[in-house]
Amino acid sequence: MSEHTAASTEIRKRIRDAVAHLEHVLPGQAPIKDFVHHNTLHGLQQLPFSEAIAEARRVTGNRGYLPPQRFRELLAEGRITEEDLTVVLDQDPELQADELLIELEDRPLERRDIYFGALAHPLQPITGNQLIWHIQELGALVWLQSDVSHHNRERLLASARLSGLTTELEAIADLWSACLSALGLEHFILHPEELVDLAPEHAERLLSDASRDTEEQRSPLQQRIRIEAARLLQNLLDRVGPELTLRSLLQQLTGEDLLDDMLPLIIRQLASFLDQGVAPWSTPNKEAGFFHTWRELAKSDLIQVFQELHTWRDEIDSLPHDALEAIIAELQRIGLPRDRWTTYLERLALEVPGWSGMVLWRELHRGYEGMTAPVAMLDYLAVRLVLERLFARRLCRRCWQVEASLDMLRWYFRRNGFELLARHNLFAERLPEYLAARVQRAVATSDLDRGERDWVQLAELIWTWRRSPSADRPGGHTVYSGAWPLFRLAQHLGLAGTDIRALGRRGADVIFDCLAKLTDDKAGNLWLLAYERHYREQVLTALAGNHGRGRWSSRDTAPSAQVMFCMDDREEGIRRHLEELAPEIETLGAAAHFSVPHNWRGLDDKQATALAPVIPNPVIPAHEVCEVPRPEARAQGATHARRHARLEGWRQSLLQGSRRGLLAPAAALIAGAPLALSSLIGKVLMPARFDRLVSGLRDRIEGVVATGIELTAPNDSPPATPEKPRLGFTDEEQADRVEALLRSSGLTYGFSPLVVILGHGSRNQNNPHASAYNCGACSGRFSGPNARLVAAMGNRAPVRALLAQRDISIPAGTWIVGGEHDTCRDNIFWFDVEDIPSALGAAFEGLQQQLQDACLLHAQERCRRFASARSDLDPAGAYQHVEGRSADFSQARPELGHVANACAFIGRRSMSRGAFFDRRSFLISYDPTQDPTGEILEQHLLTNGAVGAGISLEYYFSAANNPGYGAGTKVTHNVTGWLGVMEGACSDLRTGLPNQMIEIHEPMRLLAVIEQSTKMLTAIYRRQPPLQELVGNGWVQLAAKNPDSGEIHLFEPDKGWVPWQPPDTPVRRVKRSIECFAGESGPCSPALIAAPDFCRE
Amino acid sequence: MLELLVTLIVLPPLLAAAWIAIGMVFGSNEGEAGEAGTAHIAQGAAVLSLLSVLSLDLFALLVRAPGQIRLGTWLASGEVEAAISFTLDPLALSLATLVASICLLTQRFSVNYLHREAGFQRFFMILSLFTGAMLLIVTAGNLLLAFVGWELAGVSSYLLIAYAYDRNQAAESATRAFVTNRIGDAGFLLAIFLCLSWIGSLEWPDITTGSAGLSRSSAGLILLALLLPVLAKSALVPFAGWIARALEGPTPSSAVFYGSLMVHAGVYLLIRSAPLFQQAPSLMPMLALLGLTTALYGWLSGLTQTDVKTSLMFATTTQVGLMVLACGLGWLELATWHLVLHAIWRAYQFLHAPALMHLATGPARPVPRWLRDRKRLYNAALQRFWLDPAADALLVRPTRQLARDIQAFDDQVVDRLVGLPDQTSALSSMEDRGGRGPGTQAKGVTQASGLLGSLLESLADLLYWFEERLVLRGGGEGLEAGIRHLGGYLQQIEDLLSRPRYLLLLIMATLVVIL
Repeated sequence: MSEHTAASTEIRKRIRDAVAHLEHVLPGQAPIKDFVHHNTLHGLQQLPFSEAIAEARRVTGNRGYLPPQRFRELLAEGRITEEDLTVVLDQDPELQADELLIELEDRPLERRDIYFGALAHPLQPITGNQLIWHIQELGALVWLQSDVSHHNRERLLASARLSGLTTELEAIADLWSACLSALGLEHFILHPEELVDLAPEHAERLLSDASRDTEEQRSPLQQRIRIEAARLLQNLLDRVGPELTLRSLLQQLTGEDLLDDMLPLIIRQLASFLDQGVAPWSTPNKEAGFFHTWRELAKSDLIQVFQELHTWRDEIDSLPHDALEAIIAELQRIGLPRDRWTTYLERLALEVPGWSGMVLWRELHRGYEGMTAPVAMLDYLAVRLVLERLFARRLCRRCWQVEASLDMLRWYFRRNGFELLARHNLFAERLPEYLAARVQRAVATSDLDRGERDWVQLAELIWTWRRSPSADRPGGHTVYSGAWPLFRLAQHLGLAGTDIRALGRRGADVIFDCLAKLTDDKAGNLWLLAYERHYREQVLTALAGNHGRGRWSSRDTAPSAQVMFCMDDREEGIRRHLEELAPEIETLGAAAHFSVPHNWRGLDDKQATALAPVIPNPVIPAHEVCEVPRPEARAQGATHARRHARLEGWRQSLLQGSRRGLLAPAAALIAGAPLALSSLIGKVLMPARFDRLVSGLRDRIEGVVATGIELTAPNDSPPATPEKPRLGFTDEEQADRVEALLRSSGLTYGFSPLVVILGHGSRNQNNPHASAYNCGACSGRFSGPNARLVAAMGNRAPVRALLAQRDISIPAGTWIVGGEHDTCRDNIFWFDVEDIPSALGAAFEGLQQQLQDACLLHAQERCRRFASARSDLDPAGAYQHVEGRSADFSQARPELGHVANACAFIGRRSMSRGAFFDRRSFLISYDPTQDPTGEILEQHLLTNGAVGAGISLEYYFSAANNPGYGAGTKVTHNVTGWLGVMEGACSDLRTGLPNQMIEIHEPMRLLAVIEQSTKMLTAIYRRQPPLQELVGNGWVQLAAKNPDSGEIHLFEPDKGWVPWQPPDTPVRRVKRSIECFAGESGPCSPALIAAPDFCRE
Repeated sequence: MLELLVTLIVLPPLLAAAWIAIGMVFGSNEGEAGEAGTAHIAQGAAVLSLLSVLSLDLFALLVRAPGQIRLGTWLASGEVEAAISFTLDPLALSLATLVASICLLTQRFSVNYLHREAGFQRFFMILSLFTGAMLLIVTAGNLLLAFVGWELAGVSSYLLIAYAYDRNQAAESATRAFVTNRIGDAGFLLAIFLCLSWIGSLEWPDITTGSAGLSRSSAGLILLALLLPVLAKSALVPFAGWIARALEGPTPSSAVFYGSLMVHAGVYLLIRSAPLFQQAPSLMPMLALLGLTTALYGWLSGLTQTDVKTSLMFATTTQVGLMVLACGLGWLELATWHLVLHAIWRAYQFLHAPALMHLATGPARPVPRWLRDRKRLYNAALQRFWLDPAADALLVRPTRQLARDIQAFDDQVVDRLVGLPDQTSALSSMEDRGGRGPGTQAKGVTQASGLLGSLLESLADLLYWFEERLVLRGGGEGLEAGIRHLGGYLQQIEDLLSRPRYLLLLIMATLVVIL
């Protein structure tokens, strides 16, 4: 008895563990309002990159690389070169690329050539009908394939001429026959109708072959089919759990997807349970948990009547009260062996990954947005299991009059093997049309007491067809899977018939061994490496060429101003333009939380929002900062608050009230319709002007209030904690934060009179994924308040005094100004301008103007990527365009976000200042000369490195396989429960990025180049397991640039640091960065800019 | 002049749709490069329509509403005649203005929104078709022309729901919408037939005047027939199920079809056929009841919906229900105003559906306490009062079963009668022969060579087949087997008749014959 109890405790523990493990396979995306970029395969980050992709493919079935066809296009476009591929092939020890295959007349043929040919050209096996089409319609045996390069074509024909074949026709015919004979095959062209059944000769041969075979195969045909069916049955039942669920098993046998019936039931109830405020009426009695409420509601569900689920009520009544017990009971009822229970649950969760992931996320983030109802994965899985079995029961009863359990299915199909074979071939494999139609009919009429005879006949037909030459058979070379690929490959290698004969059977085997080595994942990986190498070479060459050119590697003289931006890749462009316009300005980059995570409450906000990073680990702020009217504007502030509240109230009752209730919406919409009409016309026809009009109107009604922030708490305040956030920071705390920011960015000396700190955000419309465009360092929100806060702190005398004690003396003549860069509209909003000392007034105006000019140029650079922007826009026209885009609610691409991000430079700006990086690089300021111990760099790598990697990997996976890892097109998206988006009215939650965000992205891993010695980097790597995971497992590429010598080393996980040699070709040089991109709409390669005074030349 | 303007209302969008469709067939507007041209054509047509409507509006304001305009005869047979005519009274003009402007705005919206979509051209083609169809419905001068518009709108709706036809859910919802609308069409056709028989004309003014002479029951019957398409197109209870599932297409199409325009077509038809109601006042309470039920259904179900588009859809259903209620109470003026304002507001709101999460500052106001804990009612609302599964159980499944039976009948009876051979596997037949080589017996009874020879050969084979099948088998054992077969079939037919659906079918068939 005790043994039994122990076993049952053990299985309960295993199920709980399995549920906890689901975190590693389900998408971990937060509700969409709090969308933050993170590695799509975060749960598998403990594995090396390529292994994680393979594992994810095994579990979810999703490909993790671009499709081969896309890579071939990139090869044709020159984004990957032959050289890149060759280098990558040579570097892979597994491939033995330089093994000699045969010495031909004019050259050696090595494995490398085979690999290259196989990667660069599609060589997949084809079907009988396709071959006929190739031969008869495309003249495959008359001409060389049209995609064969001129070079190889000439080589092949020359080689054929040597053996006396003068025409192309002869050469190609000879090659085909050589390919066939090399594999010991013969081929005669079958007419499509002859593919219907076995030709008599074949049938005869098959029968006479059988007599030579083993005992088992000599038995009569039906006997053989029976044996095969029994094997199939065993195989199918064995796969339930690790690969199949009951639903997918039945789908393979009946073609009916239980999920079609179940999904609406599950989604409605689950969405109602998880809803964060769309529906006015959500699940009653949520506190009891999902399983319990579902059970209560299901009892009164009339679906049982209409869907003929006769035992529904009884079954639901008899369910255990506890979800875990229900899971165990259900798994027992379907007769699944215990050792497969946990894998079964994983499969089940992965059938609807988006919703399952959301349930898990909410379970792991209890109390999110103040929601107290318990969300539990076990509850959800229990409901899924119960529903699955109830619907499976109906299906099994209807089809075979058996219960929905594996035992009953085994019992039935042991007796009806022919039916199993026929059904499985129809629904899970491929059948030619004439057979498919017959089996379909047999399946459709099975309830008319169809006798076994029909199934036997069908099974025989299928069995025969599978042995006919037109079927794709596993194992062994056939004309379609062997000779044809060889034939295609030979043409691309320029091999004639004689060469193939010279290779012989052994050579052919080596070739197929090469092809077999290039599995989908292997090929994808090789392509990716080549793709990455191509851009990496360009980036490193530019960096090497730029060594010593950039200004302010040390500030011997103070720049005229210092402008600190976010490290965001989108800021590379505006920084470059600013520097080109005003070479006397220095720019810096830092994560835009600016070391002041806090809860922010703006003037019009009802509650405070955390502006703090959540990657790699959520920072929960312990301080709150409020925006308040300035003392002189208190009266206006009060008026503003009143009017704003009233306007907002009206707006909400229009928006929300018009979709809730009976008569109230009628009243609301009658009032709202005239406004709606004018708004529609304005927004559709002239978005930018209308937007200005509306905001002007609002400002006039509500009144513009001059505001300040309350940031200081008395120095004797009790300590602030996340549980009880305190209003304001003490002087000491302020000094700590300002110091942290200045030290990490290296701005500890040489202060300019004006130091500008710019947060960022993206103002756009009608965009559920808006958070993804905002500041990733502030959990997908606007980081302007952080810039404003840190600037205000740095301007306070007590803080400066404390900083001076810590060796950072900000001169009295220096003033720090906060602002916010709108990355969509490309304008800058300034904070607390009133406080700037009058002595700096003129300088500030000049700087504002320079930044404004840089914004225009930046807008022009961005417009080259927009299809709807004219290609000849001047800066002002471009600015108008981006402004219109931002205000346009019909724009599915208000801006392009982090698209094309590819590298990150951690070091002084001088390493990249003076070069053009096409807005593709994160720029993180770090001064290696001020970091003797490496602590500062360590922090950079742990926090900013993780943020950059998260963004890059999210873009990577969404772009490499958008249907699998991304969110599909925005056009049909439908926001659900404020949780995420569905496609249409009832689908899985789509996680990842929508198509519109990634369509021009180049999916490659982030290349981080760090200005520091390899010695120090190695030391940091050794002591930081998170970095070993990220870099050692190849989730990012790492390179080190020596601060003094400028030498570059690449880090290779299996080899360590490898010195990088610059190629001989020099980097392109241009006068201004506009020369790099003018007229280009695709990616532009890096270049060195030679503007006067811009850098030391 | 008026005639030309009238033509310019409806024709341009239809021509634009045809133009884009032709371009798609010939591949001349493919891909991203074809987007601009497609969008220009579609928008140009919509602008032309709007301008024509506006100038007619101006004419109506300054001079008078043009009223009935007849462009020509479409079909004529004896006394029965179908004209190409338009009714341009204030009602038609105001609705045409509404339709033309909202369609134009939506098209303009879609240019950016659908950029780089694979279905860009398809979308604009359908949207143009829909624009033409809706304009035709509201301006048509007679029932038949309105029916044409009605059908085109139905087809375009079907095509747009199935925009993402690679997704099962979308394809299935599209079919459901289509089938539901077919039921309505049957009613529409019946109404046309009845009007022709009893009033003798399909023109709206004739119906207005002619209805006065109708008996109560005749007017009632026509109205009942017309009610069917109203119920289906405006998605009133009990046909309300399809529209909540129709939100599979791109956001702008959901806005213009289900939020804003097409869903109101039924209400428009009701307002148009108001004169008939005066003849059959006893139907008014029924109409009011239908409207009220729909409004309640939409209201309660809407309270529980958690995705934005469905939530807006149920809000729309509620308001359409109220409009029908107003019609039932005889408040036609109110219903018209409600319709126009509602259409504008929903277009605005649906197009902003993706932004609601940012526009709304807090969760929706929860329902009052007395409602909150009513579990059964909550579940009924959440499951949309099971209208969909009920329709499945009552209509879809029996129909599908019927189709399957017919297929089986084809296989087992017709195919054999026609003489299509049973297929057996070459291998098993070879095996049956007990290892006798295939060469021992010739393929047919004849063998020949050459073209002429093979022609003769096939002819001979054919004759042989004929002889064997029908002549030789006809006598002796063949005949006996035939009779046995026939007996089997009769038995099967009897079996089938014992199932209720066939009995029902038989009764229906009998009724049709009698009528």
